[in-house]
Amino acid sequence: MASSTAPTGSRVRRQLPTSPWLFAAPGLLVIGAFILYPFVSTLVNAFTDRRTLVEGEFVGLANFRELLHDDMFWIGLRNSTLYVLGVVPALVILPLLLALLVQKNIPGITFFRSAFYTPVVASIVVVGLIWVWLLDERGLVNSLLETVGVGRIGFLSDQWLLLLSAMAVTVWKGLGYYMIIYLAALGNVPRELHEAAAVDGAGAVRRFLTVTVPAVRSTMVLVGALSSVAAFKVFSEVYLMAGPSGGPAGEDTTLVMLVQRTGTGLTGRVGYASAISVVVFVVTVALMLLVLRADRWEES
Amino acid sequence: MPITRRTLTAAAVAALLVPLAACGSGDGDGGSSDASGKVEGEITFQTWNLRANYKDYFEDLIADFEKEYPGTEVKWVDQPAEGYADKISADAAGGTLPDVVNVSPDLVAPLAKAGLALDLDKDAAKYREEYLEGAWASHQIPGMEGTYAFPWYLNTGPLFYNKSLFEKAGLDPEKPPRTYDELFDTALELAEQSDGEVATLAQVPTIEDFGRYGVQLMNEKGDAFTFNDAKGVDMLTKYKELYDAGALDRQALTATPESTGKKFLTGAVAMNPGSAFDLGNFKKQAPNLYENIGITDQITSTGHVNMYVMGVMVNANTSKKPAAIAFAHYVTDAEHQMSFAKKVAIFPSTAGSLDDPYFTKEDDTDETRVRVASAKALKDAVNYTPVLFSEQMKTALRNQVAKALQGKESPKEALDNAVNECNQLLRQQG
Repeated sequence: MASSTAPTGSRVRRQLPTSPWLFAAPGLLVIGAFILYPFVSTLVNAFTDRRTLVEGEFVGLANFRELLHDDMFWIGLRNSTLYVLGVVPALVILPLLLALLVQKNIPGITFFRSAFYTPVVASIVVVGLIWVWLLDERGLVNSLLETVGVGRIGFLSDQWLLLLSAMAVTVWKGLGYYMIIYLAALGNVPRELHEAAAVDGAGAVRRFLTVTVPAVRSTMVLVGALSSVAAFKVFSEVYLMAGPSGGPAGEDTTLVMLVQRTGTGLTGRVGYASAISVVVFVVTVALMLLVLRADRWEES
Repeated sequence: MPITRRTLTAAAVAALLVPLAACGSGDGDGGSSDASGKVEGEITFQTWNLRANYKDYFEDLIADFEKEYPGTEVKWVDQPAEGYADKISADAAGGTLPDVVNVSPDLVAPLAKAGLALDLDKDAAKYREEYLEGAWASHQIPGMEGTYAFPWYLNTGPLFYNKSLFEKAGLDPEKPPRTYDELFDTALELAEQSDGEVATLAQVPTIEDFGRYGVQLMNEKGDAFTFNDAKGVDMLTKYKELYDAGALDRQALTATPESTGKKFLTGAVAMNPGSAFDLGNFKKQAPNLYENIGITDQITSTGHVNMYVMGVMVNANTSKKPAAIAFAHYVTDAEHQMSFAKKVAIFPSTAGSLDDPYFTKEDDTDETRVRVASAKALKDAVNYTPVLFSEQMKTALRNQVAKALQGKESPKEALDNAVNECNQLLRQQG
């Protein structure tokens, strides 16, 4: 009976290539439609003068040449780079310290873990608005500063303070996410290593530097790579805090904000915005490679 | 049953074709692309953030239209205010622009240039006389023949001011400034008397401010901006003085209409533009302010206030042209504009409507006072925002103004740069 219903060898061979593709098809279609097609389309558009309602023509490298002379592009590149430099070290180190703090299983620790994770699930728009209220010239932070005699600080009117404030929000919002990653990594660090170091007379700081850090180093690289890509592509925090024009005189504009501002709307310059997007992509890939290469140098 | 390649191919082709088939125009249900044809068929009407408050009004309006024109069906879609231009862009680029669309003049311009807005001077000229001349002209594009949307409702706003702040500064609360020169004097006085604590304004000057100051915004041909003339420089120089004195809020460089409204509510700013709609907001959210609220006309040095115009555009590619034109006219005719104006603080753009007692007779309420004053001002109001002034241009001007206020550039340099940027963007628009 079994032999009569079992597929023949040739039939098995014929079906094998089909089934996996069929299972993968929904995923592939989604990836194709929402990732590959827009990506290729952006690449093609970067070499055209396409606008929202006009197809445009091939213009070679004209868009990229224009970028070199566009002050706003350099401002965007500067701010996105500063964002990486400001945010990534904080997001690599602070969540690790936070994870060490909440790693111990003591009563009530779940509350703190949840509390630290809450900003991650909060809507960025709500978070942005709350921070704008807090940092307003007449907001809570400035009222407190005034009470203690420091005076009001223009967190939202000075271009550098605005950028720093946005970075602080990014760090505050990201702490919980990376803390969870570190918690998982810390769970794999053998307790014996800590005990042995303690027996050898190592203090808490020494144990952290010589046991914990090497043990979670690959996780730190991962966090560094993820956070640097996210930081370079920052949009929401700066947009919400600095406003659509990108802060005073647009000095807080980031590259992704520039893409949005240039390429959207009925008069959007889709070709030029695509060229900026290509630059963002190239820099992002370069950042990833840099972080991974740095890890390899460290290892070797 | 095992799946063979042939079956899979057939399924894939069907999966691709079914949605594509759904994208067809569906012409089979009647209608005509000729404006003079029979009013029938299904059309789509898109509005701009109106469903939340006026659902019943529009549903009744649509039902009345369908009753008056048997064989028509209007599908109403409403889009949120945020990202409305992007939604229209996506629809226009994707060929899915609704048949009848609620637009503002700056949205019409690129659509008309792309051949997507119907020229009403050709297809609906008979209705022209029903509207105020200025309102009809507001959807005409420099460098193009024709009119590309029916004018719908108009709006202008009074200027609210905080009387108690005026009194504290030793200013007469019953004599608010009316021209820009008076405004600058008042603002400097308020800042001085409050030791820089109270700013009079919270927003940097926009293109409308330059217009109301009397600056020539574009050349006669409408193909270049000219707001960097001596008058424009003079105005920006005055704003710089205000900024340095604290008479223009320090956060003005990054302010939005929402944030300035909040500052006015909290008494941090003495004056703020608004509409009759805001009175209810003051009453509810800041009763103390409401007791001290002063209402005056928009600041203008030209004698004309600024007006905002909403329009209703017909998609040039609609396959139901007679129905789309008839419906766009139905929404904007005198009867329906009047009934809509009685539901919300807007003003009809149809000829003679502003002479209705509803807009001329005062009673003792502030709401009526604002309405009557605004309707009076609208009769010779000007839409100062050039229809070709895109969002990118607004940002360019705003950023250059901010540089001048911060002292990074002189007012002359800043306006020269802004004009150059805007002209370059204008050329790129084609």
